[in-house]
Amino acid sequence: MKVVEINDVFKTYHDTAVEVKAVNGVTLSFDKGDFAVIVGPSGSGKTTLLNLIGGLDQPTAGEIIVAGHRLSELKPSELIDFRMEHVGFVFQSYNLIPVLTASENVGFIMSLQKWPKEKRMARTGELLEAVGLSERHNSRPSQLSGGQQQRVAVARALAPRPQFILADEPTANLDTKSAETLLDIMEKLNREEEMTFIFSTHDVRVMKRARRVITLEDGKVVSDERTNHNS
Amino acid sequence: MKNHQLAWRNLWRNKRRTLITAASVFFAVFFALVMRSFQLGTYEKMYRDVIESYSGYLQLQHTDYIDESNLDNGFVLEHSLSDIIGADPNVTGVIPKLESFALAAAGSRTQGVMVIGMDPDNEQKTLNIKNRLIKYRLTPEATEALIEENLPARTAKLVDVFSGEAWTDEKSLISDLGISDEDSAAVMPLFRKHASLDNRYINSADSGRAIIGYGLSRYLSADVGDTLVIMGQGYHGVSAAGLFVIKGIVSMPNPDIDNAFVYITLDDARWLYAAPGMVTSAIISISDTDDKELLQTQQRLNELCNNGLVIRNWKEMNALLLNQMEADNKSGAIMIGILYLVIAFGVFGTVLMMMAERRREFGMLVSIGMQKRKLAGIVGMEMLFIGLLGVLAGVAASLPIVFYGYARPLRFTGELARMYEEYGFEPVMPMLLPDTYYLWQAVIVLLILLIAITFSVRRIFKLNIINALRA
Ligand SMILES: Nc1ncnc2c1ncn2[C@@H]1O[C@H](COP(=O)(O)OP(=O)(O)OP(=O)(O)O)[C@@H](O)[C@H]1O
Ligand SMILES: [Mg+2]
Repeated sequence: MKVVEINDVFKTYHDTAVEVKAVNGVTLSFDKGDFAVIVGPSGSGKTTLLNLIGGLDQPTAGEIIVAGHRLSELKPSELIDFRMEHVGFVFQSYNLIPVLTASENVGFIMSLQKWPKEKRMARTGELLEAVGLSERHNSRPSQLSGGQQQRVAVARALAPRPQFILADEPTANLDTKSAETLLDIMEKLNREEEMTFIFSTHDVRVMKRARRVITLEDGKVVSDERTNHNS
Repeated sequence: MKNHQLAWRNLWRNKRRTLITAASVFFAVFFALVMRSFQLGTYEKMYRDVIESYSGYLQLQHTDYIDESNLDNGFVLEHSLSDIIGADPNVTGVIPKLESFALAAAGSRTQGVMVIGMDPDNEQKTLNIKNRLIKYRLTPEATEALIEENLPARTAKLVDVFSGEAWTDEKSLISDLGISDEDSAAVMPLFRKHASLDNRYINSADSGRAIIGYGLSRYLSADVGDTLVIMGQGYHGVSAAGLFVIKGIVSMPNPDIDNAFVYITLDDARWLYAAPGMVTSAIISISDTDDKELLQTQQRLNELCNNGLVIRNWKEMNALLLNQMEADNKSGAIMIGILYLVIAFGVFGTVLMMMAERRREFGMLVSIGMQKRKLAGIVGMEMLFIGLLGVLAGVAASLPIVFYGYARPLRFTGELARMYEEYGFEPVMPMLLPDTYYLWQAVIVLLILLIAITFSVRRIFKLNIINALRA
């Protein structure tokens, strides 16, 4: 089952004197349960592509369809609701709301979605457990390590069961051990919750774990390989 | 997590900045309130003083009297008119008054004075002249004699400071001179011995007697029992001259009045100015003095007047004083305006800094699905909290001062007092109890906040997520 369909998408920036074709004719699709990584040199368009898929930005041309929604047809405020309902985001850093505890952060999107309190608490507890941070449920982000913060961010993204999770270089600021732990957790959640993950990364540790590696160069897909390990 | 809970927590993430911003609002509100209370309290006292001791709330006058206040614009007050005016439900009395300028001399000194003729019994319905008779005064001799006595140190020092002052009641003397309850039994007899004044009010039969202002008595070095020579111009240019024995000395709150106040019976004044049966005005005392009711009464009474007579209210009669106060009021308002402008920039600086610091966070929040209007609501609430904190603290801190300043008006002494008196102000600054001016400060701060909130809300709605996330 297709979760994301990208049809001949272009994104051109005109901000500078030269025109930059950040995404230059990409056609791709992601299936439910994918654990895919987008790689490529710096400036190849990874972040731009993820932003387009997540509805943070609109393509210059082409069509993106997520869970039956044509993103180009949504109004700005509908796009925000779309993201709240269907997309989980994990950024490279500063993911969490500094004034909320770990469990409040995990519960945040569910409370935006108006989940009843008991269901929300149960789900929060379950996910904090899954990311190994049950004991730290009452800590503020500033009291957590970078790796722990990223785990909370993954738990938050996952909590309301979105269609997929987008993670732009989630391990870039982490040491090897923390990165491995985070990847273990994501793999486990991918398996157990059948959650679709789409990453971008420079990190070989991440690439090795992926079951699908998409390589971008100058805004174009130059290879799309499926490997079989881990499945 | 509710919006206000998030806002409340955000408020304390940069505790120092929040407190500094709230403190700046606090100081602005606090100073503005205390200053306004002083100003407005002073104006109110001045208006009240001039109304109660001189003009009254309403007067019946000849139309031209307001421009040319002399005897030629006097008139004969018919009983019939005075009766129908007196029948108005809000009117408590009609008090005929004949007043004119003259020169007063005692010994070798001469001074321009205002001779006011009124019926002493009738007068008490409106002006408080009888209550203004002084009981104690610190003449140079009295001061010296008291300092020689064995006074408590504090009182001795204050006697020196207040030398020259006069008091109409014992209570204010005791409080001004810091006489404690224990001391008063020993000290008060000394004051009675050296500083008291045997002072009497005149009655309608007191022909050839006068009550004069304390300021005038000092200028003329004239005391109770001395004779005052009055010279001037009577009705239609007749020359006017008379001798009056000083029977009492009163302390009039307004220095201009105090320095020129000579009060005799109405009959004496008519005789002095050769104006039998005439008055220059009639003070109309009223029971409900509220602005609106006052104007309605004035209008009702005006309909009864004819033959060139008209009812004037105290504002029309004291236009000069009102203008003076209005000018002072404006300069005060400008100062407060500058104060708030500075505060507005401070608040704005905080908002700018906060918006810049949290740009990335805002980008993240909108990315994960928080609607911009919700975010704007939270940020707006944060600013409102800061503003309210400052306003409430400012109001709370000002209240004790304002109530104290109302109960015990600030009273200047020495040089500063002389200066005030030279400008025609009594050197007393009472404060005005909380009134609409309190509301105004809150409105101004809310307006500043509204501008700051509008600014940040706009910024949030224009936020470009991609750029914010890259920041
Ligand atoms: N908002 C923008 N305005 C102008 N140009 C942009 C903007 N965002 C990205 N670009 C340009 O588009 C191209 C692709 O950028 P993008 O950030 O997608 O690359 P990336 O693959 O994520 O790089 P990195 O590995 O360094 O994160 C770059 O040349 C970049 O300069
Ligand atoms: Mg990137």
